[in-house]
Amino acid sequence: MQTTLIVVWVAISLAGVARLPTAAAQSGAVAVVVNEKNPVTNLSTSELRKLFAGEKHSWTGGVPVKLFVRAPGAYERVVLLKLLGMSESAYKQYWTAQVFRGEAQTEPLALFSNGMQKEALTVYPGAVALVIVQDVKPHMKVVRVDGHLPGETGYPLH
Amino acid sequence: MRYSRATTILLLVASLSFARRSYAQDAAPSDREMIQQLVQQVKALQEKVTVLESQQRASGPSNADTTPQPASTPIPQAADNNAQPASLLEELHELRGIQWRGFGEVDYKVLNQRTPELGTYGFVPGSHGNFYTGDFDLLLTARINDKASVLSEIAFGEGEAQTFSVDLERVLFNYDYNDHLRMSFGRYHTGIGYYNLAFHSGTWLQTTADRPLVMEFAHDGGVLPTQAVGLSFTGAIPSGRLGLNYVAEYGSSDTELHNLAGDATDDEENGNHINVGLFARPESIPGLQIGGSIYHDRISDRSHGSYARLGQTIVNGHIVYIRGGIEFLNEGFLIRHAYQQSSTVYNMPAFYSQISKQFHRVRPFFRYQYINANEGGFLEEFVLRHGPSFGVRYDFNDSVAFKTQLDHTLRKGQPDLNGLHLQLAFTF
Repeated sequence: MQTTLIVVWVAISLAGVARLPTAAAQSGAVAVVVNEKNPVTNLSTSELRKLFAGEKHSWTGGVPVKLFVRAPGAYERVVLLKLLGMSESAYKQYWTAQVFRGEAQTEPLALFSNGMQKEALTVYPGAVALVIVQDVKPHMKVVRVDGHLPGETGYPLH
Repeated sequence: MRYSRATTILLLVASLSFARRSYAQDAAPSDREMIQQLVQQVKALQEKVTVLESQQRASGPSNADTTPQPASTPIPQAADNNAQPASLLEELHELRGIQWRGFGEVDYKVLNQRTPELGTYGFVPGSHGNFYTGDFDLLLTARINDKASVLSEIAFGEGEAQTFSVDLERVLFNYDYNDHLRMSFGRYHTGIGYYNLAFHSGTWLQTTADRPLVMEFAHDGGVLPTQAVGLSFTGAIPSGRLGLNYVAEYGSSDTELHNLAGDATDDEENGNHINVGLFARPESIPGLQIGGSIYHDRISDRSHGSYARLGQTIVNGHIVYIRGGIEFLNEGFLIRHAYQQSSTVYNMPAFYSQISKQFHRVRPFFRYQYINANEGGFLEEFVLRHGPSFGVRYDFNDSVAFKTQLDHTLRKGQPDLNGLHLQLAFTF
């Protein structure tokens, strides 16, 4: 009985590990999502890069930009670093420098779930985040990038 | 039953162990930072639970047996009604109070001469190699609201014989009206060129162990007015894909200029300066910045009579490319001094060029610098100096770096100067 339990336990554990979502295993389009009241409908790749590099501080109309990013290990983080052309280490050093230069008040808050991102997007009129397309929830407004929606040919965020 | 419970606990612990190990492999960045972030979020969630519990208690016993709602349920309502839960979420996502960041360094520098020299920092006359701690910087930032914030930078600098002084490097009240107008009031680092605004006093941020000769702080013997008190405006200029930005400053800049040996200072008795700059970050080449600035002030030169006044104009041009681990910095200066009482004009050119490339944790770098002061001019003690520096920066992690740098400086009328500079730089 004990042996059977151990075998079952090992099998379950291995199955669990195999099913854990990993940055390397995940792929697909990542959507740019904003607060549903944000009038923006399209961003160019360079505008997006400026947003997530902290170079653009406010939306048209003056609403302050609130950046929310996923914590290291998430697929959205991989796409973010690819967009900025930085390694994880360079990203951290970059934001330390941005705060030191007075270009940013703090580095973007790294969230551990898309649920938390959803909360943030709901509360902050100027919030912007990257979310895997399959995880896009109601109250998240998906923005076109270079005129394309996720899944369309030419969409750049993968 | 006991057997079943023990097995369940064993399964849970083992599964968590496996999951943790798997996650750690995926999350290559430092576990310490991840743990800190997790702790921060757990604290935030605890606060949220506490507030929710207190709200539930406050709502009275009639609601006590209400079916619990999922945590995410109230949030859309909060957004729609702008009710209390919205501010609760703000509390979770905002960093309140003063945020601290520290920058420190420990240096060892050896020269092939026994007299002090510009930028050798804690160099002790009579020795040709010594340890020093350079600047110990504390950066304090605080958010007042979405548009206003405060930034201050306090540096504890090392002087002669391990004496230390406190310097308020920067204290700024910032107000960001929008992307086109960002205002700062207080003491700032002047926007002459790129380096002064990019690296400030944080040695850890720099690839090299020291600042380029022309960019040395005035209080360390540098030639440029690197600090000022006044008003600073910056922002983006609508220019499409060209990505133009401006800098405009008006204030009182450094009034005391230390000499090369660090044993005397000249009071410049300067008036208010004006500095305007323009730079482009073209969208077509991410990482590229091209720009320039013009600075003007009126200062005094006591070495030319009791009250010789001169106009100081500093023209800068820079081309910088930072992307994909490549750092390529190029800046040129023309420092012009025109005496009011005569037609004498001195033009002092200077430049530096620095290139480095990150290979995993190692970043080799090379820098060439040049400065040429006119004999008889305001900054004549600098004479002609130029030469290469090369070395390696090694990042132990995201916060600690070790740098090794060799300098060779050719000086007009003096023997060449060679130096070895070792530096442990860190941020925390």
